Amino acid sequence: MKTTLSGRRAIAVAASVGAIALVLAGCARGGGDVAPTGEDTSAAVEPSPGITDTTLTFGISTPLTGATAGPGNCTVDGALAYFGTKNAEGGITFGDGKTRKIEIKSYDDEYNPEKSAANFNQMVADGVFAAGLGLGTPTNRAWREAAIEADVPQVLVMTGDPIFSDRTESPVQLGLVPIYQQEGAAFGEALVANGQPHKVAALYQNDDYGKGYLQGFKDAVAGNPNIEIVKELSYEPGPASSTPNYLEPQVTELAGTGADVFFQAVSVTPRVVENLAKAAAIGWTPIWFLPSNTASPGGVLTPAGVTETTYPGIYAVGFSEAAAAPPFAESEAGKAYFAAIAEYAQGPEQDGKAFPHCVWSWIGAQILEQAFEKMTEPTRDSFLDALYSIKGFDAQFAFGSIDTTVDGLPAIQTVSLQKFNGKGYTNVDVVG
Amino acid sequence: MKGYDAVVSNRWVRLGAFLVVLVVLAVLPLVADPFTNQTISHIAVFAVAILGLNIVMGFTGQVSLGHSFFVGIGAYAAIIPIRDWWGGPLAEGAIVIGFVLSGLIPGVLGLLIALVTVRLRGLALAMVTIALPTIGLPLAQKFSDFTGGNEGISIRRLDYVGADGQVHKGNPFAAGPGLENDQWQYYIVIAIALAFFALAYFLVRGKYGRAFAIVRSNEAIASSMGVSPYRYKVLAFTIAAVYGGIAGFLLIVWGQFTSSETLAFHHSIDLVIASIVGGAGSIVGAVLGGVFYVTVSQIMNGLQLSIYTTLVQGVVIILILFLLPGGLASLPRTIRRLVRRGAAGHSVEAGHAADSASGNTKTQVQPSEERNT
Amino acid sequence: MPLLELVDVTAFYGPVQVLDGVSISVPEGGAVGILGANGAGKTTTLRAISGTVRAGGTIRYRDRSIRGLKPERVASLGIAHVPEGRGTLGNLTVRENLMVGAYLRKDHRQVATDVEYLLDLFPNLRERIRSNASALSGGEQQMLAVSRAFMAKPRLLILDEPSLGLAPSTARNVYDAIGRLRRESGIAMLVVEQNANLAFSVVDSVTVLETGRSVLSGTTAELRGDDDIRRAYLGG
Repeated sequence: MKTTLSGRRAIAVAASVGAIALVLAGCARGGGDVAPTGEDTSAAVEPSPGITDTTLTFGISTPLTGATAGPGNCTVDGALAYFGTKNAEGGITFGDGKTRKIEIKSYDDEYNPEKSAANFNQMVADGVFAAGLGLGTPTNRAWREAAIEADVPQVLVMTGDPIFSDRTESPVQLGLVPIYQQEGAAFGEALVANGQPHKVAALYQNDDYGKGYLQGFKDAVAGNPNIEIVKELSYEPGPASSTPNYLEPQVTELAGTGADVFFQAVSVTPRVVENLAKAAAIGWTPIWFLPSNTASPGGVLTPAGVTETTYPGIYAVGFSEAAAAPPFAESEAGKAYFAAIAEYAQGPEQDGKAFPHCVWSWIGAQILEQAFEKMTEPTRDSFLDALYSIKGFDAQFAFGSIDTTVDGLPAIQTVSLQKFNGKGYTNVDVVG
Repeated sequence: MKGYDAVVSNRWVRLGAFLVVLVVLAVLPLVADPFTNQTISHIAVFAVAILGLNIVMGFTGQVSLGHSFFVGIGAYAAIIPIRDWWGGPLAEGAIVIGFVLSGLIPGVLGLLIALVTVRLRGLALAMVTIALPTIGLPLAQKFSDFTGGNEGISIRRLDYVGADGQVHKGNPFAAGPGLENDQWQYYIVIAIALAFFALAYFLVRGKYGRAFAIVRSNEAIASSMGVSPYRYKVLAFTIAAVYGGIAGFLLIVWGQFTSSETLAFHHSIDLVIASIVGGAGSIVGAVLGGVFYVTVSQIMNGLQLSIYTTLVQGVVIILILFLLPGGLASLPRTIRRLVRRGAAGHSVEAGHAADSASGNTKTQVQPSEERNT
Repeated sequence: MPLLELVDVTAFYGPVQVLDGVSISVPEGGAVGILGANGAGKTTTLRAISGTVRAGGTIRYRDRSIRGLKPERVASLGIAHVPEGRGTLGNLTVRENLMVGAYLRKDHRQVATDVEYLLDLFPNLRERIRSNASALSGGEQQMLAVSRAFMAKPRLLILDEPSLGLAPSTARNVYDAIGRLRRESGIAMLVVEQNANLAFSVVDSVTVLETGRSVLSGTTAELRGDDDIRRAYLGG
């Protein structure tokens, strides 16, 4: 009897909750979302979310924890430093005449696409005006189409994936850093330019990274009878390639071809170190090409025991000044940069020079500032129009000027071939 | 205390509470903002994955460090048919095929793997399960033409021919008129998740759950009771694989994206941690594990303190391991035990009795006749 | 025809032969003890029956060979094995352990009656009904293990040294209850025991094993009169 009674009571409670919920549903959302228009029709346009007369919120989804946390924190810190400085000076004067401070919100994606997709949802909920600057191909890919659907700009992302700079595929996106193909092509062009015959051996990671580098190189040397690619070997990315000495058999095999140029697109730093040591050890001394992310003098070449004279040349491609190089720290801009990093960076143990991404983020922030200064309406459309029309802008620390007007290319287009000089890199035009 | 226990264990009260939860889940998305709906859906995706892990680890006592493999395979099995067929004559049928395959393919793989591996114990089994994602990830990258590799597959903007004969971009999981996308996706995810939670509930409450508990507790006794440890371990592993795969499908409904990264080994560890935090031996624990997995990083993002996320998670895990070995799901039981211990003065005996009396993770051993006694 | 019959059963642990011709016969409703020193092969004989050890020779149960069957198959035929040590599920309560025993049974009403019967037989267990098995004393655990096996409603109950590690008075209590269980249920039993006095209180006949071989069989009455047996197993 008691059971039945309390049972009925429970069902009654459930029913009333249901009724209340249904009533609530009656005044569901939509009511709250639709802003009362009518009154202010004379005002030019409805501002996009994330922008007021005094602030603009910019979101960065990037790895802040996990294996990629070092570079990931840099992608936030460069912007924090740049806009922190600007905000302290009063803010940035936008194209509509209003002065706004820039608020950076960072979101950790752990280099996990599912987290970056969730971060995008959160950024929309937090009302960011635009987002970007974060690193990572799969993580940026995970919300690329969601950004298009929601019409939220996803700009100046740090990935060499060309899709972000393809205006048809990615109408609200723009890449910041050169695409893999550009780096490969820069080396190819400089190799052609020396006019000598060369036999090229290639070792590349069998994914968009490795294939992108190699494709850029091939396109650049195509049709040139002097350049012959004598052998290409590839390997699968993944845990196996973290095995020590995993790629040394390939290096030995390629050495057997007698090639005088070794084009290597390997992204696993320890393997690059081993390969650099191995080739010299077995008496193979070709000209080397290394991608920008595995060419660090301190992180790769020195540990490999390589000096200026070990090989006839070690070439890499750069697109920004290295914060670790002494001239950088001595320049006025460099001093301001380090001061701003010291003041505003939030990443753990951030010195602004351990990873180049801090400088890249600083460059990205300058490009954003250009767009802000040009946008005439407080809308995302106006922002994108402004962002896509920057030409001839000389950003601090970037090689060459910024040009965002070319469909298919990212904001930083000028890449420079660099040759290892025993300590750092020197820009060169020709291989040899 | 007795009165409180009587109310909580009353069948009608439980049914009423369940109905309230159902009604709230049904009405909430109409009222809540999109991000809330997306977050609840996200939690449900991982609750299903963790539930699978709980069945194999918590209920049956096998170590599985390769669960992300099944989630990743399920996600591929769901998204590839949709990518390839949704815009064509199959239309929405592609989604149904994706759903079926997302359970079937991981299930068959799980069965085959289990037939070979469940005789292994402890470390050996752990090593084999680790091998799944570590082999699966490079394979997925190698066949990148099919899997999208590192760049992944996104199906938010698929080509289809509209009524006007023109090619449009469309999202297979876009809502029809009357609902927003986040609401529609919420309903799909929650409905499927609820169905699989109900299945798991009846599974562990019934004969199979009892068999799992016996196998976990003592395989020799299981054999002597007529319960084949081998058969039930294979069964649990297979069910876990199916749940992982279905979570993969739900991941696609929620985010319309997957990449080889979904398979990665460290996500298996994330899932194991979430399972332990929620309570590996409990169905509710799977939900709490999902809440932990999704909301800790979101809260840390919201506070703009996400560089400390790992630290916070670590502290939570250590606290749970020391204070609540049964996970968050055992919190009410622990509180009741502490209250009773206080009420019973210094009688350790009473504490013991209360501990085991309220052991809600274990009641599945009792047949239904016994539950209300 | 006997309920269980072993003829010249052999078994190996790797290269080591542990059973070398064990022959035992348990009649329907009868109780047989296996005596022998440590290492004589008593436990292995039980394992050969329950299918957890691969064996040679003849093992027949209800006139069909059960040699080579999987343990769970043997169990489903009505042979319940209480393994050496504590045959309980430590992380389950006493009641849950009993219900586990009834896992294969369909007669749910009779299950409840049987639980009550066992709790009457072992009042200690009734007191600890909601305790985890791991919290019980050694004697209580042994009682629970026997009860759990009994809950399966077997035709044959195989007990491996129920007195192991128990204080003499506790062991006595356990055996008293086993004896009562046998008298009241008419269930057949095969009991391995080192302490022959305890065994003799329950069984009708005894087989003595030495180094894996049956060396002597007889009824308890016959063997009580045997001086060698008295000296070796009954303490003079």
